[in-house]
Amino acid sequence: MKFLHINRRTHLYLSLFLLPWFLLYGASSIVFSHGTYFEELDQAKRIPLWIKIAERTNYEIPVPGEGGDLKPFAERVVTDLGLNGSHGAFRQSPNRIDVFNFTFWRSTQAKYFIDEKRLVVEDRRFRWDHFLTGMHASGGFEEGGWRNFWAVLVDVVCAGMLLWIVTGLIMWWKLPQTRNWGWLALVSGAMSFAWFLWKL
Amino acid sequence: MRSVLSKLLRRTHLYIALFLTPWVLMYTASTFVMNHKSHAHGSAPPPRWETLSDKPYDGAFPSSANEHDMARQILASVDMDGAHQVSKRGDGKIVIQRFAAVQPLRLTYEPVSKRLLIERQLPNTSAFLERMHRRRGYQHPYALEDTWAFSVDFFIAGVIFWALSGLWLWWEMKVTRTFGALALAGGIALFASFLAVL
Repeated sequence: MKFLHINRRTHLYLSLFLLPWFLLYGASSIVFSHGTYFEELDQAKRIPLWIKIAERTNYEIPVPGEGGDLKPFAERVVTDLGLNGSHGAFRQSPNRIDVFNFTFWRSTQAKYFIDEKRLVVEDRRFRWDHFLTGMHASGGFEEGGWRNFWAVLVDVVCAGMLLWIVTGLIMWWKLPQTRNWGWLALVSGAMSFAWFLWKL
Repeated sequence: MRSVLSKLLRRTHLYIALFLTPWVLMYTASTFVMNHKSHAHGSAPPPRWETLSDKPYDGAFPSSANEHDMARQILASVDMDGAHQVSKRGDGKIVIQRFAAVQPLRLTYEPVSKRLLIERQLPNTSAFLERMHRRRGYQHPYALEDTWAFSVDFFIAGVIFWALSGLWLWWEMKVTRTFGALALAGGIALFASFLAVL
């Protein structure tokens, strides 16, 4: 099997394997790029985004001090509520800690009012634009499990993009009739990008 | 007719890819950096700034001016008008974050002493890549920002076009259909399993 043949097949099969990620990043980027439009579209429905699903009073839980580690607090709340998925917490105010928990499909927040020992749990209404941007923004190796596996695939997509460039450039170079227009496209793209870097 | 369409798709697929190569490289590098953020940044130290100038600002503001009006006036008067964010701090200082691809600027106006401090962020590759990755949208009233936003939209259209035209071109090559279908099905199955568990 010749090198050029392997080169072409790598370009093709890698693209086919990573097609779902490619489409995900493409579609979700539309939402990121036109966020205001999607927000206005949803606000026109006049439906609340967060829906209260539970409330616990006299909810006793050790509260970390100002600047303390909120992770154990978040883990305890998430366990008590029987939620799965990624989670985190932040101090909304001196008297309130918010815990958030999310999967690709669902997002929940639990607001803990320290003085009142009250926990209010809310689910976010499902929105396709949030679903897409949530997947787009997922990554990193902090959480372990399947999340790490997803992060590995994000790296694979990065490696795939580099391979597409390299294999694509080789394929282009082996098509002499496309060189002039190809050079024009390549150089004008590089110059446009350099102009943006200079001016932006 | 079919061969003309096929050639047109091939050439468009190729030339758009060549034109957008810098964008692909930037999004690839920035995605990799963001995916390894905790490793790349450690405890994420705050950005470092260098002072460009710290001197009196004698401009007068209309009595009705809010912090946004003040920011526009300050930026214009120091010849730095452009996309920015402004906030009014608790101590009354007006802090303007002037966006820039490589080295963003920070202008801090102190209304009591009427001093204007101008700082520039020191170069940082990771921060630069992340800034470029996140820069998009038409929310700023500047033609330059809209032009960049358009280039991002063009990139998105390119990504979707590559995917769809790639499928078409693959299907035309009968000899690759079996392995191609396996690769596609494998990718879809893996993606679906992530959807099921994450």
